Amino acid sequence: MQSMTNMRDHIISRRYQVELGPPRQDAPDLRAALDQFAQRYRRVLDSGYVAGITDNSMGLLAFQGTETIIELGLPVNPGQVMIHLNTFHTLENLHQILEDCLRLGIRQLLIISGDGSDRLPRLQPEEVGATQVAAVTAVELLAYIHRVYPGRFELGAAFNPYEPREHELDKLARKLQAGASFLITQPLLSKNAVVDEVLRRYPDLPVFVEAWMSRRISLLSEAVGYEIKDDPSFDPILTLKQLHRDYPDCGIYLSLLGFKTQYDLLGDTWVTRHTEG
Amino acid sequence: MRIKPEEKNSWRHVWALAEVLGGQVQPVTHELLGIARELADTRGQQVWAVLLGAGTAGQAEELIAWGADRVLLVDEPQLRGFQDELEAGLLTRLIGKYQPDILLGAATARGRALMPRVAVLCETGLTADCTGLAIDPDSGDLLQTRPAFGGNILATIFSASHRPQLATVRPRVMRAREREEGRTGQVIREGLAAGDSPAMKRVLEVFQDRESVVNLGHAQIIVSGGRGVKSARGFDLLRALADKVGAAVGASRAAIDSGWISYAHQIGQTGQTVQSKVYIACGISGQIQHLVGMQSSDTIIAIDKDPDTPMMRLADIAIVGDLFEVIPEIIKEIDRV
Amino acid sequence: MKIVVCVKQVPASSDAQIDPVTKRIVREGTRAVLNPFDTYALEEGVRLARQLGGQVIALSMGPPKAEACLREAISLGVDQAILLSDRAFGGSDTYATSYALARAIDTIGGVGLVICGKQAVDGDTAQVGPGIAAHLGWAQATYVMKVERADKDGLRLRRMNEEGWDVVEVGFPCVLTVLKDINQPRVPTLRGVLSAMEEQIPVWTPADIGADTGKLGLDGSPTRVVRTAPPPPRQTASKRLAGSPAQVAGELVADLRTRGIL
Repeated sequence: MQSMTNMRDHIISRRYQVELGPPRQDAPDLRAALDQFAQRYRRVLDSGYVAGITDNSMGLLAFQGTETIIELGLPVNPGQVMIHLNTFHTLENLHQILEDCLRLGIRQLLIISGDGSDRLPRLQPEEVGATQVAAVTAVELLAYIHRVYPGRFELGAAFNPYEPREHELDKLARKLQAGASFLITQPLLSKNAVVDEVLRRYPDLPVFVEAWMSRRISLLSEAVGYEIKDDPSFDPILTLKQLHRDYPDCGIYLSLLGFKTQYDLLGDTWVTRHTEG
Repeated sequence: MRIKPEEKNSWRHVWALAEVLGGQVQPVTHELLGIARELADTRGQQVWAVLLGAGTAGQAEELIAWGADRVLLVDEPQLRGFQDELEAGLLTRLIGKYQPDILLGAATARGRALMPRVAVLCETGLTADCTGLAIDPDSGDLLQTRPAFGGNILATIFSASHRPQLATVRPRVMRAREREEGRTGQVIREGLAAGDSPAMKRVLEVFQDRESVVNLGHAQIIVSGGRGVKSARGFDLLRALADKVGAAVGASRAAIDSGWISYAHQIGQTGQTVQSKVYIACGISGQIQHLVGMQSSDTIIAIDKDPDTPMMRLADIAIVGDLFEVIPEIIKEIDRV
Repeated sequence: MKIVVCVKQVPASSDAQIDPVTKRIVREGTRAVLNPFDTYALEEGVRLARQLGGQVIALSMGPPKAEACLREAISLGVDQAILLSDRAFGGSDTYATSYALARAIDTIGGVGLVICGKQAVDGDTAQVGPGIAAHLGWAQATYVMKVERADKDGLRLRRMNEEGWDVVEVGFPCVLTVLKDINQPRVPTLRGVLSAMEEQIPVWTPADIGADTGKLGLDGSPTRVVRTAPPPPRQTASKRLAGSPAQVAGELVADLRTRGIL
């Protein structure tokens, strides 16, 4: 087996992770949505960045990243594609996705509990050998993939600094115990004390902080659990630069990146102590 | 059937179809009789209760105490279990014979199966889940008000050129009258006739199992828990309260994600949307995603230590306190009185 | 034996908006989707056809754009789809709608089983399924939560009610309305959706189904909507209870009794 790209390398080599959503099932013009996905995907890979492909984000039905890559015949460069995988799948479908990943050469998976809906099945505890819980969460899914595919994937977990601190730190410990070896946070608008605590506790863990690239910060309200009003002075690029300064040892995960207006600015944004010194 | 305006007067009286489940007349029947009484009284007409069942004759007199002037009783062994086709055929024949102006049924699993079949057989209209019923003073037609589009709008519907006028009402929407001991009325016995349509199904078994039916959408009362419930065992306390008040158990996404209760119980944007009469939120802070799934409930009660959460601000009754202390007291209080 | 699954296109509930001035539902710009309950009916139809042999046909009535929900039905595994669409169908209430669908089912011929979702989320009436059964003179089983057995003679079903369920046996032909509990519908694959986009969907008019136009549309509908109004505003007189647990519990229970809730 070829050696895996370590997620740490992405930080050292300053490779951004760029979130991409595959077309939604209810896309009004599916062909156009597929074209757009293909263009963005190629652009991210050509830039040397990592495409982070979502899994029915917000519980809204979308096509899977793997089937979309296969259908469109897109290239997969080692280490440059990371698939989100949540708990809202049938066991059969889960294995289908994992086998597709192996076949395509996708090794990085971000394991999250995810958002459900009536239309999405949910993995049942007995299916993944989790007898102690009423519902499968990211912890059980991590443990399952870690056990059934030992050493085949590099598994990541999500971290939400807006949840009650001890609750979330405890959940993080269980995720790491279950096999997670890197971390992606919820969007940060500034330095966050709970993320700082994670970095103190786990100095060797590759951590990617999420940068919110939309000007509409009100959309973050749900993630953070309190209402954020839109602020016309909010500048995502400036905030991104500040996050680099605040977290020089972390990678950055970009969500809602503007491909027309923001993408070309990314070359100059990864400021480090070195470049600024 | 379609009628001419001058034929309206030959259709008289308000019928309420008794809801029978497991051989027992259900409380929603008294509520139907309550509104039927109101409608009949505005026009000086009678209220008829229609009681179909096997071995239910003993419960006929009781319907008079709840407001019926006549009880149309069909007590036949073939009516054991719920045989939609047989009951619909029978009702259609009785409607043809007595020509009631209005027939009200319960919007229950049984009523929602039976009433539409009767409506088509009688070639007339039907309005489901009415929250308001009144007689139009000019035309004498039944004005039927019901929520549409998930409760965002109330539509008022009528049926001017067809009789009888059919409507269903959900349990706990209308008020029953006070039971009146010694109220007099008359029981009219009818039977199955040779021409009635035969049973088209075999009812093999009947199971009672409230726990298995997680039907939040139809629940009148919901006891719901969030992060403040703290553990799967914490939900046992919520279940105890739910059992006490006949409620279903719901949960916020935080509780589901913590693995304390199954996804089937989730209420909110990515779970089920509910419109209960009473929603008791226990330790739920009230994130937007949860609120959109329950905020059109009639009465919202919140229990939380933190007095200042979105849920506590939204609630009609906000109880500041530890749910693990307050809920046992509520259960005690209900038992006490 | 053919299996017909009746589906409806409905406004996406998440998009529902009320015009602040007219207090009416704004339909312009709202997305139209397959009625969520119908997904379960489609899945059950596809599963039963696979088990019993035979074809599954999705049937819908609506404007021309309703063919989108039939394409979705195809991506979910049905063999064929038919759309009833004509001005004469417009404004039909549940009586007229179930009449038209029953006529279409009769026209298709050889149908032994009709499956509908529990109800449509825009009307919430649950009347069309039993209405079809009544028009056809077939047996019906509503609120079906489980198919326990299916063979060439008929079905053994679990019907939900307020206290649990009963088990019934019914022969063909019959009409079922099914609950979400009945199955976990598949999610369409990208390949399936792309190929459904290529299908031709026949459009039938009243003449095609031999319908009496006097029983269709507004004229054929016994019920009329006389007015719509916003629901009464939420009472804002909220009440705060604080004190010892026993004290607040006492006040709450007393309050609920006053409101007629307990």
